[in-house]
Amino acid sequence: MSATTMTAPRQRIPVLVLIAMAWIATILMVALFAEMLRPYGITAMDLRARLTPPVGFGGTIRHLLGTDELGRDVLSRLIVSVRISVLIAFGATAIAALFGTTLGFLAAHFRGLVEQGVLMLIDFQASMPFLIVALSVLAFFGNSLPLFIALMGLYGWERHARIARGLAIAANAQGYAAAVRQLGATPGRIYLRHLLPNIASTLIVAATLSFPEVVLLESGLSFLGLGVQPPMTSLGNMVGYGREYLTRAPWILLAPSSIIVMTTLSVSLVGDWLRDRLDPTLT
Amino acid sequence: MIRFLGLRLARAMLTIVLVVTFAFVVLRMSGDPAMTIMSPEAPAEAIAAFRKAWGLDQPIWLQYLHYFGAILQGELGQSMRDGRPALVLVVERIPATLLLTVPALLLKIGLGLPAGIYAALHRNSLADRMVMAGAVAGFTVPSFVLGLLLVLLFAVQLGWLPSGGQESWRSMILPVITLGLGGAGILARFTRSAMLEVLGQPYIRTASAKGVPWALVVRGHALPNAAIPTVTIIGFMIGSLIAGAVVVESVFSWPGVGRLLVVAVANRDLAVVQCILLLVATTMVSANLIVDLLYGVLDPRLRGGGH
Repeated sequence: MSATTMTAPRQRIPVLVLIAMAWIATILMVALFAEMLRPYGITAMDLRARLTPPVGFGGTIRHLLGTDELGRDVLSRLIVSVRISVLIAFGATAIAALFGTTLGFLAAHFRGLVEQGVLMLIDFQASMPFLIVALSVLAFFGNSLPLFIALMGLYGWERHARIARGLAIAANAQGYAAAVRQLGATPGRIYLRHLLPNIASTLIVAATLSFPEVVLLESGLSFLGLGVQPPMTSLGNMVGYGREYLTRAPWILLAPSSIIVMTTLSVSLVGDWLRDRLDPTLT
Repeated sequence: MIRFLGLRLARAMLTIVLVVTFAFVVLRMSGDPAMTIMSPEAPAEAIAAFRKAWGLDQPIWLQYLHYFGAILQGELGQSMRDGRPALVLVVERIPATLLLTVPALLLKIGLGLPAGIYAALHRNSLADRMVMAGAVAGFTVPSFVLGLLLVLLFAVQLGWLPSGGQESWRSMILPVITLGLGGAGILARFTRSAMLEVLGQPYIRTASAKGVPWALVVRGHALPNAAIPTVTIIGFMIGSLIAGAVVVESVFSWPGVGRLLVVAVANRDLAVVQCILLLVATTMVSANLIVDLLYGVLDPRLRGGGH
């Protein structure tokens, strides 16, 4: 990345990455305290102030970011949407990391048929566009929030599985793993207490790289009306709704769009920077 | 070479079998199709007749075999909504989708490859920084946001281009740009890092040191070697020609396969969804197979059969 050119081993954090980190922190705060921060309820209607533009474009401070067709406060909906989208992205990334790492360790531990099976699943996952698989599952199973998070959790697990397998095989050949094994540690203890801490940094970077992809995937599906279902709201959902009012009330759509772009951009910047610092071999 | 081909072919077939099995398992796990299609209040005889007609009264392994046999014969069931064969419904949408995805692919390659190569050759220059910024934007701006922003600017504000539909060639412009720009960014980024990696190799320094002109080093040594990872990405893009425009088609109300898929998913029209899933899997696997064959052409080291 241009922001992280190699100059000295102990360089300061680039300004852009700092800004990105600050933005991520803000988004996390908003997600955590959404219920306290939102000025109105997400379904509260102010029928006399329908389609009010944001402040500065002819609106009032009663609705900082304007209102939608039903007079619902865009800022309030935005804050709650951030919470839902962040929740889904975090949940999904955590599931993918857990699932992928477990499969990777299993493959590294048992080798043979188990490993071939895992590799085949990885190939399958990597060769299918995930959006299509996700849409098929949604068509077959219908939609609910837990199912949706679980489905998003299937995204990107193969990256973790690949890394975990490769690193575990390499680590098994190293002295420390053999030493603990000689001392009589169970495989579970070796993998969780000794191997995992050694490869955690790489796995965290991999998770940082797939996090924005999950945000994009979730917002894309919700935009299509196939993700988060009303009355719940997510960022993609808001864009999908705002699309109907593109000509009359573009702010409904622009507010969540810019949040999506800023967030994915920030996480990518931080992820790239982390990768360059911790493990430049990752893709 | 034969062994290499055979292995690749076997693997491709296996992936298809896996997708078919996936479709079958998911289809059966998702509940009783008879209940999904017919209302729970339907008379018991009607449900029984439906089960018999769809073979749902047979043991599950027999259903699986039947299912597999039917698919091999190209029978992918009827659309549960309008009764026409799902395959026909899907195939008649393909030309419209290709009308968007093929020009978009050309745009991606035409823009992404040169930009990536140029950026790598002029590392840390202003152009490099701009290409990388564009690449990051191409990756982080979702296609529906980009598409809607383009509509807002060119259709709503300026009124130069239509915002959707399929009336004339002018309605193709915005969707193609939306699809192409994002992909071009991704491709530029990959090409740049592939080139940078190759440019750091000892053989480049050797060629340079023995006095080969830089242009020739790039053309003769760097580009062919950097082509290998880049071809993989392009292969993936070719594989997603049919299904790669799901979101963009929805943004621009373009009557292609992606739009059909979204509507079918919303209506739970399982035959159509399954048909598209299999079609996408087949194109994807074929594209990967072609890429593997291309590796053999591009990289003589792979022709022996090993990795």
